[in-house]
Amino acid sequence: MYETKYHKAGSLDNATSLMGSADDGKYLGGGMTLIPTMKQRLAAPSDLVDLGGIADLQGISTDGSTLTIGAGVTHAEVAGSSDVQGAIPALAALASHIGDPHVRNCGTLGGSIANNDPAADYPAAVLALGATIKTNSREITAGDFFNGMFETSLSDDEIIVSVSFPIPEKAGYAKFPNPASRYAMAGVFAASTSDGPRVAVTGAGQDGVYREDAMEAALSADWSPAAASGVDVSADDLMSDIHGTSDYRANLVKVMAGRAVEAAG
Amino acid sequence: MDIGGEYLVPASREIVWEMLNDPEVLAQCIPGCEELEATAEDEFTAKVVLKIGPVKAKFSGVVTLSDKVHPESYRLSGEGKGGIAGFAKGGANIRLEESGSDTKLTYEVDVQVGGKIAQLGSRLIASTSKKLASKFFITFCEVAQTRVSA
Ligand SMILES: Cc1cc2nc3c(=O)[nH]c(=O)nc-3n(C[C@H](O)[C@H](O)[C@H](O)COP(=O)(O)OP(=O)(O)OC[C@H]3O[C@@H](n4cnc5c(N)ncnc54)[C@H](O)[C@@H]3O)c2cc1C
Repeated sequence: MYETKYHKAGSLDNATSLMGSADDGKYLGGGMTLIPTMKQRLAAPSDLVDLGGIADLQGISTDGSTLTIGAGVTHAEVAGSSDVQGAIPALAALASHIGDPHVRNCGTLGGSIANNDPAADYPAAVLALGATIKTNSREITAGDFFNGMFETSLSDDEIIVSVSFPIPEKAGYAKFPNPASRYAMAGVFAASTSDGPRVAVTGAGQDGVYREDAMEAALSADWSPAAASGVDVSADDLMSDIHGTSDYRANLVKVMAGRAVEAAG
Repeated sequence: MDIGGEYLVPASREIVWEMLNDPEVLAQCIPGCEELEATAEDEFTAKVVLKIGPVKAKFSGVVTLSDKVHPESYRLSGEGKGGIAGFAKGGANIRLEESGSDTKLTYEVDVQVGGKIAQLGSRLIASTSKKLASKFFITFCEVAQTRVSA
C-alpha cells in the first residue's frame, strides 16, 4: 500500500502552490488515464491536485474567428455544445467518438493533450487546426506543444487553462478505432484553413501526432478525398504493435484521410 | 522484439570505445539513470526511473558489459525490477567501424518486459524501446562532441 494525499484546488494559484509543496505531485483532470495507472501501481504520486474545481478551466466561447475551450471541459460537453457544433462541427464529432460514455463524461480536453497519448484523438485536431494552448504562465502553439509520444513542452507544474482553435473554412476527422478501447489505430484530421490545407495524423506515428505534408500539398492542388487518399504514405516511421503492422497503418492513414476530407465536404 | 539503428559519432573509434566503457558516460546516456555504481569489473548496479506518460516506475538492477572485442564491439545489457510494476531486461549489441575521422556505431537492441508494465504498454513497448534507445545514442553523440571539442 502507499498513501496519496488528495487536494481540491480552488484556483490556479492555489493549484500551483499545492504542487510546489508536494513531494512528487500530479495534477488530476478527469482521472481517466491517471487513476487506472495508479490502480495498477504504475504511478504513485505523493499528492493529487484536483483541477476540477477551478472556474478558469471551464467554459466554451467563440468570437467568430476563434473557438476557445477550457481545459477542464469534458469530451461530452464538447460533443454536445452548440457553439462547437456551429463553429467546428468536426471537433464536436471527434469528441463524441472518444472512448465510451464514462470516459466522455469524465475525461477532459486538458488531460487528453497533457497526456499526449500517441493514439489520442484531440492532438490531431489541435495540430491540424493550429490551435494555441494557454497555460497558467504562457501561450504555446500546437506545433511547439507536442514533443513526441507522451511528451509535451509543459513543465511539471504548468497547468493548461484553455485551448483556442482558429475556426477553419471546413474540417473533417475520421478514425479507425481500436474495437476495444476506441483509441485511434489511425486518425486523420483534415482542415481547410486560411493558411491552406492542414492535415494531422494520430494513432499511427511512432512519435505521436504529426502533420502529413505530402497530403497538405496534394489537397492544396485539389481538395478532394481522392487527392488525399492517393498520396503515398511510407510505413517507415509508423507504429507496429499487436493491433497492426506499420504497413497496415500506412494504408489506414490513406483511407482515413480520404474519409476525413469527405466528411469536411 | 528487436530494434536497431546506426549513428555517426563525431569521434575516433578509440575515443568511442573508451566512452562506451566509462560508467560516467553510461550514467549520463541511460535515460532516467539516477545511479550507476561499479560493483565489479564491467558490472554495475543501477537505479533508473522510467517515465512514459502517466507511468513512473523506479527500476533497480544490474548493468553489465560483455563480449568485448576491443575496439570493435561489445554487449551492454541490463536487467531491472520495478517492484509491482514488473521487470525489464534487455541489451544492446554495439559495433564500431571507422568512418574517416568519425565512427559508425551500429546497434541492435533486444527487450523483454514482464508484469503490469507489459500489460499496459503492449501497444507501446516497441515505440518506447525505440525512443529510449535513440535517447541513449543521441546523448552519447552529444557527449562525444563535447569530449572531442574539449
Ligand atoms: C477505456 C478508455 C478509452 C479511451 N478511449 C479514448 C479514445 O478513443 N480517444 C482518446 O482520445 N482518448 C481516449 N481515452 C482517454 C481519455 O479521453 C482522457 O482524455 C484521458 O484519459 C486524459 O484526460 P483526463 O481528463 O482523464 O486526465 P487525467 O487522467 O486526470 O490526467 C492525465 C494527465 O494529464 C495531466 N493533466 C490533466 N489535466 C491537466 C491540465 N489542465 N493541465 C496540465 N496537466 C493536466 C495529469 O497530471 C496527468 O498526467 C480513453 C480512456 C479510457 C480509460
